[in-house]
Amino acid sequence: MVVMKNDTMEIRASDHVVLVRQAVRKWAIDLGFSLVDQTKMITAASELARNALDYGGGGTVRLEALENGHRRGLRLTFEDQGPGIPDIDKALTDGYTTGKGLGMGLSGSKRLVNEFEIASRVGEGTRVTITRWK
Amino acid sequence: MYTTEVHQKSREEVIARQQQEMLELSTPVVKLWEGILALPMIGTLDSARTQIVMESLLQRIVETGSSIAIIDITGVPTVDTLTAQHLLKTVTAARLMGAECIISGIRPQIAQTIVHLGVDLGDITTKASLADAFAIALERTGRAVRRVRAGS
Amino acid sequence: MERIPILRMGEFLLVTIQVDMHDRLVTALQEDLTSQIAASSAHGVLIDISSLDMVDSFIGRMIGTIAGMSRVLDAETVVVGMRPAVAITLVELGLSLPGVRTALDVEKGMVLLRAATRRRLGEAGDGRDEK
Repeated sequence: MVVMKNDTMEIRASDHVVLVRQAVRKWAIDLGFSLVDQTKMITAASELARNALDYGGGGTVRLEALENGHRRGLRLTFEDQGPGIPDIDKALTDGYTTGKGLGMGLSGSKRLVNEFEIASRVGEGTRVTITRWK
Repeated sequence: MYTTEVHQKSREEVIARQQQEMLELSTPVVKLWEGILALPMIGTLDSARTQIVMESLLQRIVETGSSIAIIDITGVPTVDTLTAQHLLKTVTAARLMGAECIISGIRPQIAQTIVHLGVDLGDITTKASLADAFAIALERTGRAVRRVRAGS
Repeated sequence: MERIPILRMGEFLLVTIQVDMHDRLVTALQEDLTSQIAASSAHGVLIDISSLDMVDSFIGRMIGTIAGMSRVLDAETVVVGMRPAVAITLVELGLSLPGVRTALDVEKGMVLLRAATRRRLGEAGDGRDEK
């Protein structure tokens, strides 16, 4: 698998979440994603960017255009140095909220993508990686 | 090497596009009346096929401004959990857009499967035949059929 | 910060969302709508999202909240113009927006609002219909 292109964006303010959406849209279009797949990826990115901002105290997103044989994909890695998630399984369970929908954003995004990875350590931060293949 | 790879890629793309076109042709969305669409489904519904068909139904709803779509599954032999879920998701999506779906042609075997699978059709209207569904659709869009003269 | 304009159309309020909204704008809209419904005693709110190519859980919840608040203020909410890709994604996300009425476009949305308002006012039965 090859990373054809990559970029990193800051998520420090709510305006940045909009910029992330716009960037993901552009990258998804360039990769030839269908309209529905574009929308799913942009929505997942919006959820995770918001989480990084609201719960992670701000963070970054790394965009990578992938090529695996004849398949092309888009991988996004959201990272923050926030409080971390104590119980990941619980957070991923539908309907779980720590007050404002961290759970909905996480479990919802998972359903919108092909690959979903999450790593988190209390007191250190969280990293969520999502991939969508064309 | 480069030339061969590019050729392969475009050939695959052509095949994929043709498959998509065949899928859309085999399940055409039909306009029954102003504001009423019908989607007669034939054959086994696999997950991928159902998704493509459902997406095109939603697109047609917007294009024609139809507030009612009848999904007829008379020609569908069996339904599995995944397909039933796709059907439910499509109905929910249509509702979010402002259109109602009626599911018609549910044969006893499929009705049994649906109950057995524990799929909850909620308040989705279901009718045994496309004709019944059409009658309901006319009613809901404020229309009635009137006999003007005796049929021959 | 710019705010989304709210138009008065007879007894209803019309909001057309045409920009990619950041969270603060979403919250501002929610607040503006609520105060305007109360101030104008509007009977209904029409939210046109036909320009939105994405609705996430934050915006989804805003819509649900507006619908709930309007009801408390004796007004109906209708959301119109949701695009297919957005609807499919919302369903996959797990949001079905219960309690929110929807219509294909503004025109159909108005028909829905008028019918709902007539029904509600008719139900009042407290002599309001008597002249």
